[in-house]
Amino acid sequence: MSGGVVLNWLASTPDFAVPYALAALGLIICERAGVLSLGAEGLMLVGALAGIGAQLALGQPAVSLVLAMLAASLVSVLFAVMVIWLRVNQVIAGLALVFFCQGLTALVGSMADWTNHATEGIGTMALWPLSLLPGVGRLFEQNAMVWLTLPIFGAVAWFFARTSTGLRLRAVGENPQAADAAGIRVTAWRFAAVLAGSALVGLAGAYISVVSTKLWIAGMTGGRGWIAVGLVIFARWSPWKALAGAMLFGCIEALIPQLAAAGVQLPQYFVMMTPYAVTLGVMIWVALGKRSGDDEPGALGQPYVREERR
Amino acid sequence: MADASLAAMAHPALTDMKTPEPVRTHQPLASRRYTLEIRQHMAWRWQALILGIALLVGLAISAAILVAAGVPADELANEFVMQTFFDGQNFRAVLFQAAPMILVGLAGSMAFRARFWNLGLEGQMIWGAIGATAVSMWQIGPDNLRLPLMFVAAIGCGLLWVLGPAWLKLKLGVNEIISTLMLNYMAANFLLHLVYGGWKDPKDNFPYSPQFRAFERLPELGAGVGSAILLAGIVALLAWWLVGVSRAGLYLRFVDANPRVAHAAGVPVRRTIYGAVLLSGAMAGLAGFAVVAGQEGRLTQAFYQGYGFSGILIAFLARNNPLAATVVALLVAALFVTGRSLQVFYQVPFSMVQLIQAVIVICVASSDFFIRHRLRRVGREAVA
Repeated sequence: MSGGVVLNWLASTPDFAVPYALAALGLIICERAGVLSLGAEGLMLVGALAGIGAQLALGQPAVSLVLAMLAASLVSVLFAVMVIWLRVNQVIAGLALVFFCQGLTALVGSMADWTNHATEGIGTMALWPLSLLPGVGRLFEQNAMVWLTLPIFGAVAWFFARTSTGLRLRAVGENPQAADAAGIRVTAWRFAAVLAGSALVGLAGAYISVVSTKLWIAGMTGGRGWIAVGLVIFARWSPWKALAGAMLFGCIEALIPQLAAAGVQLPQYFVMMTPYAVTLGVMIWVALGKRSGDDEPGALGQPYVREERR
Repeated sequence: MADASLAAMAHPALTDMKTPEPVRTHQPLASRRYTLEIRQHMAWRWQALILGIALLVGLAISAAILVAAGVPADELANEFVMQTFFDGQNFRAVLFQAAPMILVGLAGSMAFRARFWNLGLEGQMIWGAIGATAVSMWQIGPDNLRLPLMFVAAIGCGLLWVLGPAWLKLKLGVNEIISTLMLNYMAANFLLHLVYGGWKDPKDNFPYSPQFRAFERLPELGAGVGSAILLAGIVALLAWWLVGVSRAGLYLRFVDANPRVAHAAGVPVRRTIYGAVLLSGAMAGLAGFAVVAGQEGRLTQAFYQGYGFSGILIAFLARNNPLAATVVALLVAALFVTGRSLQVFYQVPFSMVQLIQAVIVICVASSDFFIRHRLRRVGREAVA
């Protein structure tokens, strides 16, 4: 491969990586509080549809992205009520949420006639002065959301590692009984975590529709939500590792169009399998290298029932 | 939190103690709390009532969504109730649709009984269909043995596609939810590779395999009812015998209740889990066979869509009981048939069927809360 192809490849990587990164970060917030959120695929679709709807109506990308976050949060209230208040099995509730959202977004998208209408995305933002570097300078010309992703990650990582609020959230996911005994309101924290995490997952979906592809097609997330769920396990619930994992997935996905452009003949459908195959491979690799200290939140997937203390 | 009533809750022994007379003139709202208790047992008719109400609520919400989407309300009732169940042709359509539905429902319940979240039903179904089609494409075996060979190939392929996740889970502890899902996407892409590639019908160049010959299709039983439904019924009875009567079924119940205790009691836990999961894959493969040999007559590119979730839904609603799964599968099949006609007449997208199924699952899953818990008011009044 020539240098130009490599450069193109690396320059297009962030665009593919951001949805994985944001979705995984949202899931980490949820799961750190002990709620296994399998609904990511559905919430991404909700974000994607709401984003494009707002974009078609208002034409303001920033507003569209915020509205998409709100929409995903709103839908996740349903999930939160199910798993936190009604103690529904989190796997069943998550799956039901995915299919609920798939049906809902396809229905709303076709009823509102938002399908296949191209919109204007957001422009690129050059990171001065790095963008002036000869050759590699164009790596630093990305859209604003790419640059915004880094402070979002920084803020969440700082929140978990350095703030007492973050500590409380982790306590709720690690040992809700102890957290409750310490006066932390488990239910309220879990609710907040699901809503906040879902907003980020919705943002990830809206990034795909508003920023990347600039249009809506039913089911357009195509399994990225599930890959993000796998990515969280790979990242051992750590935000920075999730970002690294997302970049890895972005690299792989970005490579495919570059190879095609360079004239490399690849069996198309096998190429389309790669993100899923890589996810599977990563899961196996994580399992093989399982370290002694398990980073999984202790109460992940378990509903909290106060009376069970007795 | 230092509420007298809550202290009494935490220490049942304290409830017998004489509490001071409550002050009725001023009772802050915060002291009027509701607390949750876990209900030990509920009479089955109450359980059935709650379940029935949940189903009705789910159907009512779904109907409201459909009406909002532009389907006239009276047409809806007519379409679902009258057309689907009281019209001979439509009832046959439901039976026709039910065969693969029953098989995926049984597949789901078999794996869930072993506490294995087999979300890869669609992938296994795709491989079952590919296996059956391969036998037809390559004309393996004599004509009169072709259909049984296709049957065996479908079972084998479905089983093999779930063997990987089963082994990864039991050997390495790889989360089966993710692994089976990823394998779905891979199987779907492989299917596209076949029908857009080497297996494309040379006659009209459409992305589906050449049509099966007459002896490669499941025969009709008579009155327009295909034998696929008979096959599904036989598998349902076998599954019922297996989980309800046989020794393996007893083992499976042990494993489902508590794998550790089961192991201590001498149950071959791993073998039981493997057996149930592989059987689940085999049944899903058989569902693929039922679609290609019973319905489509060829391998098509999107035949599997919606079956994975339906299988999970059926298993969940039937509480993994094979006979109940058969009944639920018939209802879901009716939903599919109704969905198809709504799609044709009102341009409602087919994912509407998914939405309705999800609403029903949400309602039924949530109603479980009222079966498992009771709300009890505690407060100063209640304690006194």
